[in-house]
Amino acid sequence: MNESAGEIYDIGYQRYTGPREGRMRARKALFTNGIRTILGLGRGILPKVFPTVFASIAVLIAVNFAIVSSQGIPTDDLPDAAVFYRVVAYFMVLFSAIIAPDLVCPDRRSNVIHLYLVRPMSPTDYVATRWLAAFAFTLAILYIGQAVLFSGMTLGADEPLDYVRDNWLDIPRFLLGGLVLALYAATIPLAVSAFTTRRGYAQAFIIGLFFISVPVTAVFTKCEEFEEQQRGEFMEFVEVKCEPVAGTYTKWVALGDLTRVPVHVADLVFDKENSSNLSRLVRELPDFVPVGWFAILIAGSGFTMWWRYQRIAL
Amino acid sequence: MSPLLEAKGLTKHYGDTVALDGVDFRIDEGITGLLGPNGAGKSTAIKLFLGLLKPTGGSAEVMGERPYERLESRARLGYMPEHECLPPNMSASEFLIHMAQVSGIPPAQARTRTADILRHVGMDEERYRPIGGYSTGMQQRVKLAQALVHDPVLVMLDEATAGLDPSGREEMLELIRRTGRDFGISIVLSSHLMRDVESTCNRLVVLEGGQVMAQGTVSEFTEETQVLAIDVDEAHKELVVALKARGVDAKLEELTVVVEHATTEQYDSIREALVESNAPLRRLSQRRRHLTDIFRNSDQ
Repeated sequence: MNESAGEIYDIGYQRYTGPREGRMRARKALFTNGIRTILGLGRGILPKVFPTVFASIAVLIAVNFAIVSSQGIPTDDLPDAAVFYRVVAYFMVLFSAIIAPDLVCPDRRSNVIHLYLVRPMSPTDYVATRWLAAFAFTLAILYIGQAVLFSGMTLGADEPLDYVRDNWLDIPRFLLGGLVLALYAATIPLAVSAFTTRRGYAQAFIIGLFFISVPVTAVFTKCEEFEEQQRGEFMEFVEVKCEPVAGTYTKWVALGDLTRVPVHVADLVFDKENSSNLSRLVRELPDFVPVGWFAILIAGSGFTMWWRYQRIAL
Repeated sequence: MSPLLEAKGLTKHYGDTVALDGVDFRIDEGITGLLGPNGAGKSTAIKLFLGLLKPTGGSAEVMGERPYERLESRARLGYMPEHECLPPNMSASEFLIHMAQVSGIPPAQARTRTADILRHVGMDEERYRPIGGYSTGMQQRVKLAQALVHDPVLVMLDEATAGLDPSGREEMLELIRRTGRDFGISIVLSSHLMRDVESTCNRLVVLEGGQVMAQGTVSEFTEETQVLAIDVDEAHKELVVALKARGVDAKLEELTVVVEHATTEQYDSIREALVESNAPLRRLSQRRRHLTDIFRNSDQ
């Protein structure tokens, strides 16, 4: 027969005498919680799908570009770091439209934000840590993609060391360009999400806001550069001169495509021409205009978001 | 000894509405009830002490500091709101670890504290299930646990028994009593339920219309009256007749014989009346006032 080896006593409630790390620990905790939310950790399968798909797309695009670059096509025609951002920007906007409401709307819907704000944490701390989580994750994905692309192009080059020597300036450029894209992707969707407690409404509104701006801007800035004309018995496309709907304001209206705003700035960082119609139009403007427009959108969204959380009724 | 909470000329206006009108009171260690009808200014007072609102005038100090000027002082406060405030998708364990860290506790210690506090509030295996599937009673326990997880000096409970059935309510009140008594954590219990406050608190601040109507120990409010209650098993009417025959002003209230304005000289007459009416005595005691009586009188 087994004999009991010991006894268990309830020592009752014990006061906490360990360290208290104050406001900085609170910020770290909320940042970590934000990253976990973005990654869908501690939840079902679906929340994990979006970050995985976005990260996979970024890496696959980078790998694809790297493979194409190793085919020996003349350098000027190769997809590069600037093109990578142009392509990834669409997915990034879509991804941020999904994750940004996930970061803040449930906190207000379930009133957990009330519990945060009675602890050593101000509304500004709350907004800043949530924003930082979205920014850090987006930036990490963009940088991973660029790192894969740069490594692939280096390894695919005939003389890898020469490639690095000739293209090392791409590194600070893609670091700066990534900052621009991540800043944009984190700020505007979070500002929109601050106005509703419903995740679905926020997601629909952000996607609508971004992707409706694409055809609307296109309608006002494009013109049919080709039209069908009768040539004898055949119809054929003929290039014609045309005037866009927005007339002389077309290059300004080109700034209205919200999915392309950070790409215009990133193109300036890379100092690369973009052959798309919108980019050509924006290039006609002084450089400070797309940069200023980007700054206005970021500052306006950032202030709106901050202002909104100062007025959370508890 | 400096008070835990002190309101000095505390005033709060919402536009033209005066929520608190220059109130002065202090709250020391122990369990203090903040009592008053809806709209009395209880929640406004709590929000001012938590630093969520700035006073229009006067000051709200927590352990000598003004929380709306120094956020760090909130690290030693706990708050359990009346409304829902729990994330339905997280487990109680995961949520409390997170909230402990948001209160400034490092991760390793946050895990230990969470395990301890969930045990103290009576959450066993269910702590690992999502909160969304909990009963109201369990959710109230988690709300209390999140307010205690960082071991505050003082915890403010806003209508802690709201939505609970009678047994759940009694369990919650016992938990609150135990928190104040055994854990050594001071409590401010804001409630409009006088029975809850009377059975749980040892001090009381009564607010009404944005002003302090009364404050003091609960025993001061519920002091003995000159009303004598005589509980007998039978012969109630005979006892009343026998008392009246001896000049004692007695009346029957349900199954209790009540003597108002009883004096010590009348005790002999009461004893004789009991013997004469042959009524088996169960209890003879001076009635204490109840908080409900006080408020009933103030209404009139």
